[in-house]
Amino acid sequence: MKSKPAFGLLFFFLLGLLPFAAALVYALLYSLGIVGILSEGVSLAYWHQVLQSGELLGSFLYSALLAGTGVVLSVTLALWISMGLRTSLQHRFWSLLLYFPLAIPGMVASFLSIQLLSKAGFFSRISMKLGWIDRLQEFPDWINDSYGIGIILTFVLIVSPFFVILFSNVYQNERIAELSTLAYSLGAHGKQVFWQVTLPILFSKTKRIMILYFIFLLGSYEIPLVLGQESPQMLSVLIIRELKQFDLKLIPEGYVVAVAYTVVIAIAALLVFRRREVQVHE
Amino acid sequence: MFLEIKQLSKSFQNDLIVDRLSLSLDQHRTLSILGKSGCGKTTLLKLIAGLETADQGSIRVNGEDMSGKTPAERKIVYLYQEDLLFPHLSVRGNIGFGLKLQKIPASDIKEQVDLMIQRLELQGQGDKMPHQLSGGQRQRVSFGRAIITNPRLLLLDEPFGSLDVGTRQRMQELFKELTALYGITSLFVTHDLKEAILMGDDIGLMKKGSLQVYPDKQDFLLDPGTGVRSEIEFWESLLKPNY
Repeated sequence: MKSKPAFGLLFFFLLGLLPFAAALVYALLYSLGIVGILSEGVSLAYWHQVLQSGELLGSFLYSALLAGTGVVLSVTLALWISMGLRTSLQHRFWSLLLYFPLAIPGMVASFLSIQLLSKAGFFSRISMKLGWIDRLQEFPDWINDSYGIGIILTFVLIVSPFFVILFSNVYQNERIAELSTLAYSLGAHGKQVFWQVTLPILFSKTKRIMILYFIFLLGSYEIPLVLGQESPQMLSVLIIRELKQFDLKLIPEGYVVAVAYTVVIAIAALLVFRRREVQVHE
Repeated sequence: MFLEIKQLSKSFQNDLIVDRLSLSLDQHRTLSILGKSGCGKTTLLKLIAGLETADQGSIRVNGEDMSGKTPAERKIVYLYQEDLLFPHLSVRGNIGFGLKLQKIPASDIKEQVDLMIQRLELQGQGDKMPHQLSGGQRQRVSFGRAIITNPRLLLLDEPFGSLDVGTRQRMQELFKELTALYGITSLFVTHDLKEAILMGDDIGLMKKGSLQVYPDKQDFLLDPGTGVRSEIEFWESLLKPNY
């Protein structure tokens, strides 16, 4: 009986951890100039170059800002939908409609956003028909714009349905309706029930998933590739750009960005899970 | 009378669940209501707590008409069948929840919660989360959380139904001690004959939405409809030599 978990762990190690660890070690060695076709021996020059240029930090902050805004807006929208339309969501039609965006790949969602949000897109044309703008060019820049509005809206489109489903399930599993009734009985008013019962329970049960979604959006590639601007770029786009540049001598810089990103995310994930252990007994 | 209910009725679709029910109860007393599942006990308590709306009839607490009042305005606490605790709050947070809503100073809340923890015999458990407690401990927290708010009326809906015999007995004793200490007026609903007799100062039997409150316990014991006689006969038959 004991061999089953051990075999499972071995399987996870061989297929899950080992390839990832090998790739990370390879990327580290490449970033230090130890491996690679044009390697010239151990050097921290690529790390110096990347860190001094400020592009990595700029890209990281830009990515974090877009991912954070995407998660906050998605969670807020999902909270409003799942709590405000709780009865409607039990109907098959609405629940199917909710599942639909989850099946849209990032690349398709990006092109959908272009069709809807660009200067020549659906909303721009509607605005002109309604007389809100005189020319299509007057429609605000939402695609490839410096604020990443198109990216954020597309993040919201693909992420919020997931949170609606998550919040609805947590609401049922944690019996928030009954706990709310109990809170009313103990003297709470509507707002107190929402802020002191509903919201804290939903957040305490989903906060780690929110962080994981933030990490997922931080590393997203297709959406910022299609809808992003030249500079700053989101991390994954920057990494691929660096790895595919014509000057082969500069490829290690791409690995520097990849390693730095992986290390930061790994440390953040470790901290999140460490805090979880402490909080259980608070 | 402290609690006066007159001609209270409630239907769900075409099912009459509470049927022109009337009762009265003095302050600081407990009325046990015995009844089988589906007889309308829970609906009656929810109507009194304001969690359901009556089709007709009136509820007055200390002379005050409860119709149109929200559950929060009634200051009547309804205690669930299960030990429903707020999962994001510790034992201390759960017990002090109602006091926090009343915006009582934090130091006063702490003092009252500490005293309640002591009375509930939960010393050293104050910082634990609900999932770290046993069934009996959870029920005690739930009970303390209701009592600490000093409700005008406490409604208990088969509160000890899920507990084992020993824990249930201890909880019954604790309930008696604390309701006496805090001067609580309560309705105690149960389907357990022995518990109904033990817990109530007064006792009533609920059948098909109607309630019969007995003038004293002797009348209850002698009424064949309560099941007391058949219970006694069952135990006596076990004691007969040729059984």
